[in-house]
Formats: sequence, C-alpha cells, structure tokens
Amino acid sequence: MTAVTLALVALVILVLGAVGSFKFRPLGFLGALIAILIGLGTCPLYYGIFIFAIALVNLLSLTALQDIIKGVDYSLVGLMALATMYIFTTHDFAMVLVALVLVSVPTYILVMLRAGKANIEVGIKYITFMVLATVMFLIGAVILLYAHAHAPGAAADGFGFIYAVGYVMLVLGLSLEVGVAPLHEWVPDVFTAGDPIPISIIASLAKVVPFVAALWILIPISNAITPSLVLFTAVLAAISMFTGNIGALTAREPARVLAYSTVANMGYVLSCFVVIANHEYVYFAIAGGLLMLFANAVGKIGFFNAIKGEGAYSPFMYILAFSFIGVPPLMGFWGKLYILFSMAKMEYFWLVAIMVINSAISIPYYIRLAGELGVSWRMNLVNLICLIAVIITLVTVLFVPVDWFFKNIALVANSLGVVI
Amino acid sequence: MNEWLVFLLLFLSPVVSSIPIALLYKSKEWTARLPYLSVFGIFISVLMSLYIFFTFPSELPDCRFVSPYTWIPGTGIDIVLITDYLSRSMGVITALIAFFIAIYGLDYMRGDYRPSWYWFFFNLFTASMLLVVYSDNLFLLFVGWEGLGAASWGLIGHWFRDDDEIAYVGVPGRKVGPLEFCWPPSFGGWRAISTIRFGDVPMFFAIAAIWAFAGGNLNISEIAWGALFTKLGAAGTVILMLMLLMGLFTKSAQVPFSEWLMTAMTGPTTVSALLHSATMVAAGAYVFIKLTWYIQPWNMHNIPGVESVYVIVLFVGLVSGLYGALAATGMLERKVLLAASTMSSLGLMFGSAAASYWLPKEVPGTGMNLALLVAFWYLAVHAFAKASLFLVSGHLIHATHTRFSVGNLEFGKKMKATFAVTLIATTFLVGMPPFTAYWVKSGMDEVMEHLLHEGMLLPLILLLATSLTYSAILARFTSLNFIKGEKPKHEHLEGGNLMRVGYLLMASILFILWYLIFKNKETVGFVHAGYASTSILVGIAILVAYVGALYKPRISSLSAIGTFFNDRMYLPYLNDYIIPKIGFFVAHLVHGYGNRGIDGFFNTKVMPGLFGLISRGIRCIQSGYLAHYIKVVLGVVMMILILAAIGGVYLYP
Repeated sequence: MTAVTLALVALVILVLGAVGSFKFRPLGFLGALIAILIGLGTCPLYYGIFIFAIALVNLLSLTALQDIIKGVDYSLVGLMALATMYIFTTHDFAMVLVALVLVSVPTYILVMLRAGKANIEVGIKYITFMVLATVMFLIGAVILLYAHAHAPGAAADGFGFIYAVGYVMLVLGLSLEVGVAPLHEWVPDVFTAGDPIPISIIASLAKVVPFVAALWILIPISNAITPSLVLFTAVLAAISMFTGNIGALTAREPARVLAYSTVANMGYVLSCFVVIANHEYVYFAIAGGLLMLFANAVGKIGFFNAIKGEGAYSPFMYILAFSFIGVPPLMGFWGKLYILFSMAKMEYFWLVAIMVINSAISIPYYIRLAGELGVSWRMNLVNLICLIAVIITLVTVLFVPVDWFFKNIALVANSLGVVI
Repeated sequence: MNEWLVFLLLFLSPVVSSIPIALLYKSKEWTARLPYLSVFGIFISVLMSLYIFFTFPSELPDCRFVSPYTWIPGTGIDIVLITDYLSRSMGVITALIAFFIAIYGLDYMRGDYRPSWYWFFFNLFTASMLLVVYSDNLFLLFVGWEGLGAASWGLIGHWFRDDDEIAYVGVPGRKVGPLEFCWPPSFGGWRAISTIRFGDVPMFFAIAAIWAFAGGNLNISEIAWGALFTKLGAAGTVILMLMLLMGLFTKSAQVPFSEWLMTAMTGPTTVSALLHSATMVAAGAYVFIKLTWYIQPWNMHNIPGVESVYVIVLFVGLVSGLYGALAATGMLERKVLLAASTMSSLGLMFGSAAASYWLPKEVPGTGMNLALLVAFWYLAVHAFAKASLFLVSGHLIHATHTRFSVGNLEFGKKMKATFAVTLIATTFLVGMPPFTAYWVKSGMDEVMEHLLHEGMLLPLILLLATSLTYSAILARFTSLNFIKGEKPKHEHLEGGNLMRVGYLLMASILFILWYLIFKNKETVGFVHAGYASTSILVGIAILVAYVGALYKPRISSLSAIGTFFNDRMYLPYLNDYIIPKIGFFVAHLVHGYGNRGIDGFFNTKVMPGLFGLISRGIRCIQSGYLAHYIKVVLGVVMMILILAAIGGVYLYP
C-alpha cells in the first residue's frame, strides 16, 4: 500500500475512534493507537518509532486528565502524530502546509483542556498568537514559492525584496509558532496557566512539524541571497538562547522554568538553519535539529508529567536534566553536537560560542528542577511515563547515532528535495 | 566457542559477578556470602584466559580480533583485541594472580567494614587489567588504563576512615624537617590518583597525537611506527614518546614518581599484592614491552630520536632499580620494604626492555627479541614471587598485629607454611642459582653485557649493584620476620587457612615457570646464558649477599644511612612539599593579583549585573496582558519586516 493510502486508512480509523468515543471513551484511545501504528508505515522507520513513542506517552499521560471532551482528545493527539509522520514522506507543497495546519489546530483545543471546564483564558492567549503565526508562515511560504517560480536560483530584477520578505515572514511565523524570542511572550503565560498534560503535548509533539515544514520549503529554494538571510535567523536563535536560559535561570516556578527552557531549546534548533544554503552539511543540521527536538520532547513530557503528579522518581528526573544539559552520551548531547558541528562547518563560530555558553548557563536550573521534582520511587502512571521518556533518552547510549541516524537522514533529506 | 563470547566472558564476568554485592551493600548477611560469587566471576576469567592461551591463534594477522561492532565509526577507535605471545601469557598471569589473591581475600577481608566497596573495585580492577592486556587499540587500552587508576584509588583508600594505625605508612608523629613522615589511607589514595593523573594526561595527548600523525590508526600492531617517527623528526619523536612514557612511568612508579607506590601500602594487603606488585604497576612495563615489540627499535638506528628515547628509558629504569633496592635496605615496615623492592624490579624490566634497541638478537626459531623476552619473563616471575611475599606479609600482620617486621625463629617454626613460602619466593626471585629467576637474570646479565659493545658500562654496573642489594633486602625481610627479628608481642595464629591456600598456590606457580624455562623453545637463550661463567659468578655473589643478610639483617653502625634510605632519600619532599609549594604560590598569585578582577567580573559585579538586567527585561515584558503582548509581537514583526524590505531592496536590487 502506498503512504497516502495508509494515511487515509489511519485517518478513517481515527475518525471512527473519535465518533465511537462518544459512546465508549476508550475507543478514542484505541483508535488513536491503531492510527499511529498504521502511520508508522508512512515514514522512515527510525523517525516513525520516535514519533510513535512520543505520541504514545502523550496519549498515556492524557488518561490522567478528566476533561470535558474525554475520548476525542486522544484523536486530536493521534491526528497530530499522523501529520508529523506524514510530513517526512510527502513530496507535495500543499500537503506540507496541510500537515502544519493539522498539527497546529488541534493544539488550540488541547491547550484549553483541564479537569472540569475549559480553560478559556489560556485558549484566547494561545490561539491569538497561533493564528497570527500560521498566517505569517503560510504567506511567507507562498511568497517564497512565488519568487522561486519566477526567479529560480537567483534574485533577478527586484526579486531580492520578495525573497527577503518571504523568508522573514516564514521564519517569524515559525518563531511565533514554536516560541522563539523575541516572539515568545505567550510561552511563559500559557505554560504556567495551562494544565501540565496538554502543555506537555504542545511542548513535545507539536514542535516537530513547524521546523520540518520550514526546512522543507527553505532548503530547496535557497539561492544567492540565502547566506545573508540566514544571518537574521542566527541572530534570532542567539537572542532566543539567551532569553530562554537567563529567563529560566531567574525563574522559580517549575512550569515557568520549562517554558523558558523551551524558548532556549527552540533557539538551539533554529540555529541549525544556518546550513540551509549549503547542502553539504544539511545532513548534520537535520540530524542535530531532529535529535534536539526529540530530546526536548521527551524531556518536557517527563518534567510536565512530574509537575502534574507532584514529583517523579529522582534518577529519572536527573537523567532527563542531563540530557537537556547535553551530557554525553544522552540524546540531548548528540543533538547539540550535530548542531554545533554543522554550525562550525559553516564557520558560524560566534554562534557556536554562544550555544556552548548557553549550555553552561542552563546547567544550574536543570539540576535545580530535577532536584525539586525528584522524589523517591512510587508505582504510578507518572513514573511509567518518565521511565519511557528516560528509555528514549538513553537510546543513544546503545546506538551511537552517527551510523543509523544518518542512513535515514537521506530519506528525510530526499523528502525535503535535497539530493546529496 | 565464538571468540567474542570468550572475550565478553573474560572481561564482563568479574564485573557482573561483583554487581550484586555492590548493590546489597546494606545487608550484612549478603555481603558476607556474596564475595564467593565475586571470586567465581574471576574464576571464569581464569578459564577464559586459559582457553585463549591454548586455542587462540598467536600469529598476526590471525591473532588480531576486530570487533564487528563499530564503536565510533570512521575514527579508527575500534574494539580491537590481540592474542599474541605477550597478551595471551600476560592474560593468564593476571587472571591467575587475581584469582589466588581473591581466594586469600575471602579470609583476609572477613569482617571488614565495607566489603561491597572492596569486592566491586577488586573485580573492576581485574576486568580493567585484562582489557589493558588484550587491547591492541591504544584508545581501548587507555579505557582499561583509566579503570586501573580508578580502582587503585578506590582500593588504596579502602579504609578511608583512617581510624586504624595498622593501615598507615610511616611512624605517626615522626617529623623530618617540616613534614610528618606518616601517611594515612585517605592520603595514600589521593597521592596515588594525583600522581597517576599527572602521567595519564600527557599519555592521553600522546595517543591523540599518534592518532593524528599515524593516519587515524591506533592499533599498536598496525601503526607504521618507523614512518611515524620519521615524519615527526628527532624532537617530535622524543616529545611524543616522553609524553606517552609519562603515563607508563607514573603507573610503574619509576623515579621520581615512586612516592605514591610507597604510600599505596595503606590499602589492604590483597590490594598491595595484586595492584601494587604483580599486575597494575607492572602494566607500565608491560605496555612498554608490548610497544617495543611492535615498534622494533632495533631496526630503527637510522631514524633520529629513537635512540634518545631508549637511552632515557634505560637509565630511568636502572636508576629506579637501584634507588628502590637501596631505599628498601633501611626499611622495617614489611609492605613498604616490598613496595620499594617492587619499584626496583619494575625498573629492571624497563631497563632490559629498553636495551632491546641495541640488541638485534633474535631467539632462533621464534623471531622474538631476547631483551624483550627477558623483561617479560622477569615480569612473570616477579609477579608470582612478589605477590606471594605480599600475601605472606598480610598474614604476618594479622598474626602479629603490627606492620613492622617482627618474628624470631620460634615464631617462624609456628608459621611453617608461611616461612617456607617466604624462603621459596625470595630465593626464586633474587636470581640465586639454580632457581627460576636465576635463568632470567642470567639473560638480563647477557643483555647488559651486550651494551658493553656499545661502550656503555654503566648499565651493567647498575644492574649488578641492584641485583646484589635486592638479594640482601629480601634476605633481610626473611630474617627479620622469621629468624632474627624481635619476639612478637601478640601472636594470633589461629585460622587463616584460605590465606595459606592463596600463597601456597601462588608460590607453586614459580616451580611451573622454572619447568617452562627449560621446556619452552623461546627461553632457550636464558638457559644458555645461565651456563655462562659470568652468570654463575654473579649468581654466587647474589647467594653470598643473601646468606650474609640472612645472618646479619641489621648493621647498627650503618643506622644513620639506613634512616636516610628509610626516608626514601627525602623524595617525599617532592610530593608533599615542593610541588604543593608551587601550587600554593600560583594560588597566591591568582588570589592576590588576579582574583579581584576575575571575581569582580564573574562573581560580584559584571556578570551578575548583566544577568540581573536581562532577567528584569525579560520579566518586564511578561505582564500577563494580551493587549501588551500583541503590541510587542506586532511591533517586533513590523520592525523586522521593514528592515528586511529595506535590506532586500538595497542589497539585492
């Protein structure tokens, strides 16, 4: 069966599960689970497994939340996971934008979930910015595509202006969507006022597609102007790292620390955009960016669930914290290493230095967080979720990513229109 | 059996078998039983090392095993093991000695206050040492090497509470100048790790340099050493090899890095026997022999720099040999005396291995270099003999409640097995005809005599002086503990059967080695050298020195010089006075002049101020009002878009 057919089958099952959940709630969970299992067949296996694992812990953690749309919430997560898997296979510009919207819109509803009534106040704050972000992203993408269609490869006759505006709009849309400073204002408020569980989904699963979609569009259409435009991205990334890390260092509340840590992490991922003009090192950048996103996702899931469950098993918390800091051989280390490597290859040494300094700044607050959220062992759902998160983080201990990760990068790079 | 399964069992069984006791450290009941499991783990290693010895190929390239699992691909850092002549023999030696000492340890460590710590590190050590022995890849070897350092620190400082004077080295309260010449276990552990670290860091850089200059290959048997040295030039070769040798010299306690070994005697005796006489300290000499084996310096007389390296090693080794032997003449502490004699032996190993540069002599039919074989066989004989002596002193310390040499003939008669093992181990080790070491030492005499042709007389003189002194100190050890020493104040003679089993087994191997010297074809050169008239003369001189010291172990008229030797010729001043003074001077400099600026920048003024400012800025935006946020976001977006538009229009018209 082709990927499209598989995706359609998965979608039907997802919808059936959602409908069925009105009668019998576990059907929603079951439908989502089967759908993402089928979705595994639509994308490169290793990514599929990571996304499947992240979606699975998201689904599991949702079982602890008694919200007003119980049952359908699983389907929303399933939909996001399917879109995240599908974006690695599609070769269609329209489908990339569809995937972006399909990941973004469910979060509008998820963010309002909590036990009992909907959390309208958080919803308004979040949706306002998300709508703006999506619109900017889409307009930017369309402008770029238009410019590319008329002046491919070079900026001829006034197209420099159009490229620049398109690029900047797309990157600003992305920044607003994922929470890159200085457009991060919604992040600390939403992360502290929302329920930790839906927030953990927004901080994990929802972050992958915007980045991949942006790379999907920017890499193939890079041209002579791109090297000067990525400087803008690099500055944005640097601002985001400092804002996030210093903000987290001087924040008290765990949810707020995590919000700022997200801002910082998005800065790290954004910094790998400096390679989009050079297809030679794009492998490393994508590998680094994705590993960083995965490490960030499982770490956030673990920490937010620990906040919800008033603490999780202490060693788990420390392992996740070390991964965030970038201690080898945990996953966060490899993410940072590849990003640094790609930046060094592009001779962005000042950004390398800033990222290393920022990693150092982040050490105290991650350790503090692990100390505050760490408790002794209890047998409960939170610890199960954290255990899965830790196992994913430790995958890179057994399998040093260079080898297996790179083989599959080729597949992703192909779907991004890059042939190396 | 699959070869990788054999290797996995060899390396992992000691570690895995000691994990239960490490985890159950709180349970008295289990920590009393689980040592047997740890010993069993080492026993499996013994079986595997024997299996390798008898069935694995010994010739290149078949004896090199490259793991199918690539560790860090494309870097040349792979899991590569080798089972050549040296590795397969050294593997059996290591595993056997560890096993015998582990059996002894079951008795010796009974009732100790932290058995989990002891057994975990003991077994970790065994696994690390085996890794060093079988590694062909320098990086993998270095991993094992660091394991040795960690285990050594853990085991020397085992009695970290410093609460029992019997574990100290030196006499408490005895001052020599401003320093108190007395070291508790915690200090001993620190001295060990700090000295070894001092050598390991340059060694690590040397390995990195080899990697960089040898085309990314780190396999000892594969590196094109000649090409590497030619490329580096004379100065480069000397610097590289000296950096590498820093690791080996510090590990093998060669002058001037010997102090840590003396105070390593604060650890349990089993540890002294295994790590600080038979295996770990010998690792430095072993790695040097192994490197030289593949470097083949005797073929490199036209490459500048190589000779200087081997001259340095030759003299560092021989001087350490004489220094250790002389220092031991004044010592009364049983283990410290043996430690000094150990560094002396290690020096001889380095010295004779280094002599291979001038000795292109191959043992017929084997292709092996005589000087390297001498060094390696001396390592083997020394390992079993010295380990036996350490185990004996451990038993004596238990029996007499003192670490100083005491014991008269009456006491000796009560400890028959112990006395007998001491006599065997000393006579078999010093080079007295016709026992085991005599034949090896004769080979060594021949090697040093050969240097006379190169116009070097000093090595032979140093070797002879060391050999005679060495014979005297071991005789003195025997005499002061069993024949002419004072009557012990306490005698605790019950029990200790497993301890006896341990050292009897250990000493019995000396007979096997004796037999092997005559049976093996590669040692035929030793036998031949043993019948040479000069060797017989030296042998007789050694016998005379032994008997003389046995008859008169203390000479009161020489007590002043004895004290000087006992104080290790004031070498502790280097470790505990001069180097700390330099450190304090630098600290003072930094504190007095640099600190205010550094502190002000990082700690009190600039950085905290900057962080505070940024933090306030970040929080100031976070008002919580949506309208405010929209203003900020839209403002930033607008501003950037305008900038982008201007940039786009003017930069790329």
